[in-house]
Amino acid sequence: MSAEISDLYRSLTVSADEVTVARPEVVRRHADRQARVRMAGSALAVAVLLGGVAVGGRLAFSADGSAPLPPPAGAPAPIPSGVTPTPTPGPSASSAAGSSGPTPSRTTPGDTRPATPTGAATAHPPTSIPDRAFFVLAAANRTGLESTAGGPILPPLCDARYASESAVVQRRARSIAYKTPEAPAGSVPAGSYRHSITIYRPGRADDAIRELRQAVRACPEQKMPDDSRTWRQRLLDPGVYGDESVLFELRSPYPPGMGDPGAYEVRLVRAFRVDDVVTVLWEQGWEYTAAERAQVDADSRRAVAAIENWLG
Amino acid sequence: MRDARSFDDFYRGTSRRMMRYGYAVTGDHTEAQDVVQEAFARAWRQWGRLAEHPAPEAWLRLVVSRLANDRWRHLHRWRVLLSRSGPPPTAPPPGEDAVLLVGALRQLPPAQRQALALHYLFDLPVEEIAREADVPVGTVKSWLSRGRSRLAALLPDVHIDELEANDVS
Repeated sequence: MSAEISDLYRSLTVSADEVTVARPEVVRRHADRQARVRMAGSALAVAVLLGGVAVGGRLAFSADGSAPLPPPAGAPAPIPSGVTPTPTPGPSASSAAGSSGPTPSRTTPGDTRPATPTGAATAHPPTSIPDRAFFVLAAANRTGLESTAGGPILPPLCDARYASESAVVQRRARSIAYKTPEAPAGSVPAGSYRHSITIYRPGRADDAIRELRQAVRACPEQKMPDDSRTWRQRLLDPGVYGDESVLFELRSPYPPGMGDPGAYEVRLVRAFRVDDVVTVLWEQGWEYTAAERAQVDADSRRAVAAIENWLG
Repeated sequence: MRDARSFDDFYRGTSRRMMRYGYAVTGDHTEAQDVVQEAFARAWRQWGRLAEHPAPEAWLRLVVSRLANDRWRHLHRWRVLLSRSGPPPTAPPPGEDAVLLVGALRQLPPAQRQALALHYLFDLPVEEIAREADVPVGTVKSWLSRGRSRLAALLPDVHIDELEANDVS
């Protein structure tokens, strides 16, 4: 066969033309229905704020603190082995960064309780990560979409390198999608996480947390590959998760056509340490959704519970 | 105030082309339907302003590209997605040439697929593709050149035309 590439595109055109397209009024109704669902979500959030209803003992705010959010489904709870679905993450060969680390800094402004030094609490440090170390989403958040495909476990931060990578004993990672509680089964996910668990050599896990915090500080803004926008990074109050934790956001204006006018695409990343184990939950969105702080907090609590149950 | 009639006219006039474009950048009928419908839904939600846009079709292509790229990234990462999201709606079997091309396009980076589609489906000059993708002209030339080279390697029986005059001017 000998054909021009333009001939192939013509064939593609013929093939595409055989696909039925919806009538315009159907598209308009679909768009308006989507908008109403979003409005309903916002109205619920405002009602929560005005009513002064505490969610899990505190009010939950979105990443920029500008608007309250509806609570995510359910509260985190210990995960009984063999009862709830068991995640099956695979080992991840990818590493967060290379070998040269940033200048160490011992200041930990976000920590809200004394940190347990790494390597001090576990008599027999773990050397492998079981499936049960991975949290299970609340039932109303589950989509059934989970992948063990490889990939980075942290977003790029101005070419930051992490010296603590040399102290990694084992790492496993997965990607998992979630939906909002009110979305029916089969809906397009509301977001997704890159979720990793890493065992460090005794006493080195706090280096990983410290290096990550320092990397965020050292990278207030950056450009991403294949993205002309400028992303800004900043540390947020991490709350109490594990022995110590880091929470930061990546924020950029939506590109044209995505999100509401003037809105920002926000990604949230939380890393927390329990003994010599560091868990990273990186909210990656789904088709340009923005991370919701309340959802990330709730799933972080689930992640902490799973790690603590595993480590005993 | 959004004028439904003008939107419907716009939709009827552009939805076919957008489906072709969606198919070229996603490589899948169902994905193309989803992405194009979502792009038009976003267009309708902003129709009050978009109707006054100097190039609403270019805006729409941009949205289709971004949605497709985002979905493409997810599909790479989420190998189980298709197997767990239920059967796709019935679509006619594509022609043999279309299958060949789509199979090859799937192995190209999204930016190259987008540039090739804009060139071959919309006959856009390099400068306009650069404006639409918000990148320098040289970058688009590189995408087209590399995309064609890669297609040539993937489709050895297909004659890949050289860069045309308006591609390199």
